Amino acid sequence: MRLSLVVHVCGLLIRVFGLMFLAPLALALAYREFSDAAGFAVSGAFTVATGHAMRRAGGVPAETAVEGMRRVEGLAVVSTAWLLIAQFAALPYMWAGMGPIDALFESMSGLTTTGATVIRDFSQVGRAMFFWRSLTQWLGGMGVIALFVAVLPRLAIGGRELFFAEAPGPDDEKVSPQIRRTAAMLWRLYAGLTLLQVIALWVVGFSIYDAVCHAFTTLAAGGFSPHPLSIAGYQNPAAEWVIIVFMFLAGANFALQYRALTRRDFRIVARDEEIRAYTGIVIAATVVLVFVLGGTMAIGDNVRTSLFQVLSIVTTTGYASVDFQLWNDQAKVVLLGLMFIGGCAGSAGGGPKVVRHVLLAKFTLQELRRTLHPRAILPVKLGGRVVPPTVLQGVIVFFLFYMLTFAVCSFIVVLLGADIVTGISATAATLGNVGPGFNQVGPMGHFADLHPVSRIVLTLAMWIGRLEVLTVLVILRPEAWRSGRWSADSARAAG
Amino acid sequence: MRIVIVGGGQVGSALARALAAGHEVFVIDDDPVVADAFTTLDVEFIHGSGTSESVLARADVKKAQFFVACTGLDEVNVVACAIANRIGSPETICLVSRADFISESGKAEGLEQFGINRVLWPEAQLAADIEQVVIAPGAIDAEAFAGGIVRLLEYRLEAGSRLTAAPLGALHLPRGSLIVAVKRGGRLFVPRGTTHLAAGDKIILMGTPDAMHEVEAIVHPGGRRGRQQVTIIGGGDVGLQVAERLEKSDAVNVRIMERDPVRGAVLAARLTRTLVLNGDGTDLEFLESENVGRSDVLVCVIDNDERNLLASLLGRQLGVPKIITRVSRPGNLRLFERVGIDVALSARGAAVASILHQISGGSSSLLAVLEHGEARVLELTVSPRFQARELKRIGTPEDVIVAAILRDGRAIVPRGDDRVEPGDRILVFSTGEAVERVQAYFGGTGG
Repeated sequence: MRLSLVVHVCGLLIRVFGLMFLAPLALALAYREFSDAAGFAVSGAFTVATGHAMRRAGGVPAETAVEGMRRVEGLAVVSTAWLLIAQFAALPYMWAGMGPIDALFESMSGLTTTGATVIRDFSQVGRAMFFWRSLTQWLGGMGVIALFVAVLPRLAIGGRELFFAEAPGPDDEKVSPQIRRTAAMLWRLYAGLTLLQVIALWVVGFSIYDAVCHAFTTLAAGGFSPHPLSIAGYQNPAAEWVIIVFMFLAGANFALQYRALTRRDFRIVARDEEIRAYTGIVIAATVVLVFVLGGTMAIGDNVRTSLFQVLSIVTTTGYASVDFQLWNDQAKVVLLGLMFIGGCAGSAGGGPKVVRHVLLAKFTLQELRRTLHPRAILPVKLGGRVVPPTVLQGVIVFFLFYMLTFAVCSFIVVLLGADIVTGISATAATLGNVGPGFNQVGPMGHFADLHPVSRIVLTLAMWIGRLEVLTVLVILRPEAWRSGRWSADSARAAG
Repeated sequence: MRIVIVGGGQVGSALARALAAGHEVFVIDDDPVVADAFTTLDVEFIHGSGTSESVLARADVKKAQFFVACTGLDEVNVVACAIANRIGSPETICLVSRADFISESGKAEGLEQFGINRVLWPEAQLAADIEQVVIAPGAIDAEAFAGGIVRLLEYRLEAGSRLTAAPLGALHLPRGSLIVAVKRGGRLFVPRGTTHLAAGDKIILMGTPDAMHEVEAIVHPGGRRGRQQVTIIGGGDVGLQVAERLEKSDAVNVRIMERDPVRGAVLAARLTRTLVLNGDGTDLEFLESENVGRSDVLVCVIDNDERNLLASLLGRQLGVPKIITRVSRPGNLRLFERVGIDVALSARGAAVASILHQISGGSSSLLAVLEHGEARVLELTVSPRFQARELKRIGTPEDVIVAAILRDGRAIVPRGDDRVEPGDRILVFSTGEAVERVQAYFGGTGG
């Protein structure tokens, strides 16, 4: 791995990210929140300057070096850039008085579209700051790096590795053979859907500010809300329906939606196995929840609330249209189970992803059949195509590491003083990028009272969960660096 | 007539052998080893590539009436036909073995642009035939004609069958069906009202699909019980196509056995509901471990007659009630049936018969050859000059039966007082070499 290249490309990305501070800066000025405005200005300037310095420090490798980016370098760039961008995105929070651990937690929660918060008192936070929170989720939803791949001509070729390192589904799905076009088209669809939701929310009575903030965090499957009571604070059933629709879309594969829209053929959506499984899971979980919650509210409210909460958790958005902390344990365990499912691959949703569950289920069934017919050739297929064994191994390893990470993190959080339900749900909710958990970290609660080390651990869990575990773990392996140094040295020797 | 054959494989040599006596035959092949097979035949063998214009010129393609491309490579066949078409104007017949040149509707429209008059895909035809036999319980042969609106079934009558109770005239077969032939003691004949069927007779029936369903219920009263279990041995082109056709139906459970694990993986990727097993279909232990004896039908389509025969006999030993076997060398057909294989089918044999018919017969088209050439089903168009009249007044010869009249997309299984009109297409069942006479009767102009 060529360290200089990693530093250079990270610098490139960070410099562009600095420009994102302009939006909240403008808003802060408009709202006359001058202290925050200064924070955004300073953060932005600092980010651009650091990015520029890193780009220089990287030795400015020739354009060809970027083109020749290897997979492991792509993974390193994406993991490092995410970590660094989260630090920079945390600067405005620190300026506003948050401690560094909390600021990083909040900013990572935003970028990874988790939606877990450490803000105790929403009244102390300005409107521009809430907008920044929502904006970080919106950027993180489709992928910050995908956005930069789309807009930075320098990354036209090396961007391929970056794109797939950031969204490492089991299936490398594209809408165009060109990665830049793919990224651009997906971002366009994402922005279009966001605009639609802003209009829809505005029509049902949200202010433009609330509509934008919520559209940003719905399409990103993020879950931040400027309202301390989340969606429950608005008591607006029509808005809940609007959000239900857009949460569903946010949790579905964007590449598939793009293809269905451009070809005007919605049968390809109906045929897609993952979407079918996703829809099935949503319906099944809603039915169970309606049943479990029966009697506590009118049937119409029950159905809407159940569907809302199921979609909110399964897509890993994390909104609450009621305080589900007050629900009984039967209802809560349904939600806890959904945290381990996640959205579709190629969606804004986090978690292990529906397609991995589908593949695992098929693989298990085939292994059962194999005991009946030991000589049978039983490939696992998805959409009629054979899934290579290496991909299946990847899925199995993913689940192993996911559960291992989950176990280790919840262990630490509970050891450091949280009760078991809080510890387990907080870990599941951050690793799966969902947001709220139960008890102390329930939908109306916050993560601020957890032990500082727990907060750091959960911040890392969000990072690992967003980049789907392996991207992060691979670059933590010493070989990734050693083999690179060797090849760099030998290249130098050869040159 | 001058006939040029590109490709001296099984089809090419069978054609040359049959045509050598009456025609000027040129065989082109680039494999010198193949030449040996033709030294004893009265044909001209040209060593060279069938896609080379100079080689084709040596066979004087300009003066040829027929040009048959039957090498093992589809692309070579297509290109050879295209070149022949440019040099002269022979009727071109092109054999293909893959779906690449066939559109989804099963037609080969794209190839007409290359100047190809007729495309034959023997493996697909065989797979379709096997499917017909598999889905007809109890039948030992089955065919579908005119896009499925006419079916043919062949049965061996068992003791106690309702059909043996009385002479044919008193049996009241379902309207729309017809017994066109009976085979008894090695002799094939057209039955009359007075014919009394007996156990052990083979009967051939034709009719509309609905009527044939009723016939199935009469001849094979056991009928369909649950899902049919079908085991296919051999995962070549034919095996794959049979499995693809059968797995579309929910009433059938298909398993396919293939020796080569790499090919097995290809099969497993293509097939959706079929269970692909990696194993040798001639290995008794393997067949027993997979309970092959419990299958309703065993289809043996290994690309090797000896191993196919072995697999079929093992299946018989394990108690499979119906066995369908592919025979590569047409000469082996009779042998297979003699040792008790119910249905032996030859893809290339059917292709050769069809080409020979086109070359010699001309205007009608041969839809099926039954009982090793003793009977045929032809389709022909009644001449516009034909004077419309009732069937009983036409006076067709004894060995010719009008089995169906195709008019306005419907099939009529005629009785004596149904009329045959100019422009009708008719399906004719005939025994013996009655082709020319049949055409003469209807002033046939080809189907």
